[in-house]
Amino acid sequence: MTTEQVLRPDTRTGPGRRFEDFTVGERFTSAPRTVTATDLADFTRLSGDDHPLHAGPDGILQGPFGIAVAMGLLQGLGLHGPAVRGLLDTHWSYRLPLRVGDTVRLEMTVVRCRRTGKGDGGVVTRHMRLVDEQGRTVQEGTTSALVDAAGPGPDPVGRAFGTVAWGEALVAALTPEFGESLATWDGAIGLRAGEHEVSLRVYRGKVIEVAGRAALGPTFTVEADELTWTELVTAPTNEFTRFAMSGRFGMRGNGYEYLRLTRALHLIVDAARGIA
Amino acid sequence: MRYIGIGGALAFVEEHGPGGDGAAGVPVLCLHTAGQSGVQWRHVAPALAARGFRVVVPDLPGHGRSEPAPGGPVTDLGDYAAWCLELIDALGLERPYVVGCSIGGKITLDLACRASERLAGVVAMAANAWTGGTPSERGLRRELSDVAAPSRTDRTYLGTLAVVGRSVPAERAELIATMHRREDPAVSNSDLIGWTTHDLRDRLGSVACPAHLVVGADDLWVPAAGTRAAAAAIPGARCTVLDGIGHYPMEEIEGFDGVLAGWLAELGSEVAA
Repeated sequence: MTTEQVLRPDTRTGPGRRFEDFTVGERFTSAPRTVTATDLADFTRLSGDDHPLHAGPDGILQGPFGIAVAMGLLQGLGLHGPAVRGLLDTHWSYRLPLRVGDTVRLEMTVVRCRRTGKGDGGVVTRHMRLVDEQGRTVQEGTTSALVDAAGPGPDPVGRAFGTVAWGEALVAALTPEFGESLATWDGAIGLRAGEHEVSLRVYRGKVIEVAGRAALGPTFTVEADELTWTELVTAPTNEFTRFAMSGRFGMRGNGYEYLRLTRALHLIVDAARGIA
Repeated sequence: MRYIGIGGALAFVEEHGPGGDGAAGVPVLCLHTAGQSGVQWRHVAPALAARGFRVVVPDLPGHGRSEPAPGGPVTDLGDYAAWCLELIDALGLERPYVVGCSIGGKITLDLACRASERLAGVVAMAANAWTGGTPSERGLRRELSDVAAPSRTDRTYLGTLAVVGRSVPAERAELIATMHRREDPAVSNSDLIGWTTHDLRDRLGSVACPAHLVVGADDLWVPAAGTRAAAAAIPGARCTVLDGIGHYPMEEIEGFDGVLAGWLAELGSEVAA
């Protein structure tokens, strides 16, 4: 509880963080919270879900409970005050059962900051993970909140994965080796992070267009969630091959050309790390 | 160093003895990984010999300086195990220890299953009894017949870097990965077909020699759980998980000869007990 109190004044006395105060890659860890028998009883009463799986003596705390706890722990981090206009979405996965007596803490990573079209606010997407005392992920997902902006921008693009602005910055950071490795290639490379995808149209070693979609579509697309991209660009070394081997990156499209571009993709990730 | 006829073709074999090339010392047979060669043991072999062992490092058929297997690239690790027994006979190795890594580790386990009584003990590294069918045999066979399978050397290089342990200095990891580019893809792929199709699960209970299974915690190809399960199925076997180490302990660990000599001493004391 001490940790919460130290972190909280920010949101009690001022507006809390505005959109520009968030940076992709920032990580926060909350104080621990233990699930009590009262929690179980209260939640069962509130929801009316008395299925033995959820309400029995060894009951698993039902779905929304974990999200509610995560949101409460998030407030304890002292980041959000009146500048927050509202929660936009929650995508959630359940990895391990959560029961009375378990102690969890919230690990939160900012994975995307995107200004709204109107420009006076921005959407901050946070990867949120409830972790138990053994360090295991119990539940995880993402939530997005709309936050007031302090000014009109512009905003940094180095970690705006999958956007055209990010793609353009990445291309500018590619080394000559990239062109050499694709000297005979003609195609388009799709890079996707969450719902955002950008295509690098390549002809004979030169990137001739960076666009949301190449005219004939990408030859192949490499894709991962925003957390994976965030971890990829903030790791001490280029971990792309490890991530791909362990399934954290996926691929759609022409698998043959994807393999052929093994070296080129490694260089793209080098550039992405360089601009991050 | 010599060439010797094994399995109908010439095999290249390094021999390191306490007094140089020679027959003195307790024999240790060292087996390399898929597609590679005895060069993986270049630091370990002479240092282990200096500790009093007779170290024998063959290049498996089709690898390094050995001639190809007469029947074409080997896709059955049991064939390699039979080849090793023929080598043990030809060199007159009496109750050798066998140490292998990756496919070499699985060949080592196979040797323990089929000829425990002839071995002093085995150290099987980066191996399990059954892969669960991953990688898929179908994919490997397709790549075998598709000669244009792209970027092979880059995939070997980057794939090796990805499975070397995080505690290994960057320079050493770079050297390991660069040297692994030297492979015959037809042979490597055949080795991997052998790796993914060889199922020793029902035979582990028959192992009667001391056995030690070793796996690196950072080995993305061989999860520790599978190696632990294999060790649990072998009577009296021990299992070690190496923190910060990946798929190639003998190349990754500085002074590995000392580590290995310790393990062999433990296996030897089990025989005495």
